[in-house]
Amino acid sequence: MLPVSASTPESVALETEIQLVQRLRDRDEGAMTIFYDKYSAALYGVILRIVKKEETAEDVLQEAMVKIWHSFPSYDASKGRLFTWVMNVSRNLAIDKIRSRQYRVSSRTQPIEESAALRQAAEPSFRPEHIGLQEMTRQLNPDQRQIVDLLYFGGFTQSEVAEELNLPLGTVKTRARAAIKVLSKLIR
Amino acid sequence: MDIQEYIESGILEEYALGVLGEVERAEVERIAREHPVVDQELKEIVSGLDAYAEAHAVTPPAALRERVLAAWEQSIRPGQAPANPAAPAETPVVALPRMVASSAPEPAAAATAASEAVVRQMPVPGSGRRWMIAASVALLVLSGLGNYLLYNRLKETEANLQVAQTEQSRYAATQKAALNERDQQLAVLRNEAFQPVDLKGTPKAPEALARVYYNARTKAVYVDVRNLPALPEGKQYQLWALDNGKPVDAGMLADATASGDSIQQMKNIASAQAFAMTVEDIGGVESPTMSTLTVIGNI
Repeated sequence: MLPVSASTPESVALETEIQLVQRLRDRDEGAMTIFYDKYSAALYGVILRIVKKEETAEDVLQEAMVKIWHSFPSYDASKGRLFTWVMNVSRNLAIDKIRSRQYRVSSRTQPIEESAALRQAAEPSFRPEHIGLQEMTRQLNPDQRQIVDLLYFGGFTQSEVAEELNLPLGTVKTRARAAIKVLSKLIR
Repeated sequence: MDIQEYIESGILEEYALGVLGEVERAEVERIAREHPVVDQELKEIVSGLDAYAEAHAVTPPAALRERVLAAWEQSIRPGQAPANPAAPAETPVVALPRMVASSAPEPAAAATAASEAVVRQMPVPGSGRRWMIAASVALLVLSGLGNYLLYNRLKETEANLQVAQTEQSRYAATQKAALNERDQQLAVLRNEAFQPVDLKGTPKAPEALARVYYNARTKAVYVDVRNLPALPEGKQYQLWALDNGKPVDAGMLADATASGDSIQQMKNIASAQAFAMTVEDIGGVESPTMSTLTVIGNI
């Protein structure tokens, strides 16, 4: 299922990813440093987008590193890229964190406000380094972006999004599909 | 099975978002293996979301790298802290307890060891234990009593201290006022403008002696008693200025002045050639009782 491409930089990236996976499978501890350098920005960016507080993001990133190391035997390279897998591990930890009662109490954020915050555009302070974000957000209309953000950063299911936005489930599914299609077309 | 309908059902998105349960995930994977269209669709969804994630990348602060890597290293090497393998969370540096808790099956053995280590029986013989309880109670009572006594003594000391402090500040205030007064008097005595006038005792009181300081410019009058006979009950010395033979009231002498403890400013006098003192009823009179004239002196 790994994307096969003829373009040189991608195949190099792919090769290093395969090597990294192999080293992690061999429990090579030095591989975690390489892993950090390669993935921390992407993981940290998404975690920060979810938890919104830098110190919490650091905690979650630490937890993610530990979890990735320990659960690595359960990663199946035939089912997807390492990036996808580690991103989902980190994203789930971050979403668990904002859903934990302790976090809600400490951040004094009500669930409604939380989702309202997610509907807003990413704060400028996040300064995404990849030029991709602006391009992507230009391509997504606000409705689509709202839904993708709730699904991806809010950890909502499509039914929950429908409830939250007071939309028919069918509409949510159509918009989500369309939005993700736009995203996948952009990277081709 | 309508493949297009399946693709549009939204389940592939949920798969990519990681919100499906184990059984549903396996089902999606099975269908994707059987239907290349589904597999292709799923790949696109996943890579679209990955790209979206990647677009949000933020390089973490540089200091975070070392902290995160150190914490990870601590968590995977619980035995690194020597002689304490059962408590990985207590190893030094940054290790966070919850990270150990969240790290799936590996530290389970360590956790079991930890719970075993906690259960520890203290063998205490029954009679010895009773004695220990009795001794503890006795010590507690004694300690309470001791505290009570010490507390009382503390309160007493605090009260004494407060009294002493009040006394001291009152004394300081008195002294300060007295000093001010002396300074003023000294200024009068040193001032050239004040002319000293010695008032000598009349034959009735030959030992009596007082001095008046008179400032002809400001008209101020001070009196300084050296020695005056003790006064009968209800009487007070009254100072008179004699202007062209006519007595003018210059004020009553306070007790402290009459006893010579302090000099006193009297009433201003416009003009005088002599001063004299008589003994009068308290509060003074309008014209002097000449039979009680005690001291007199010419300028």
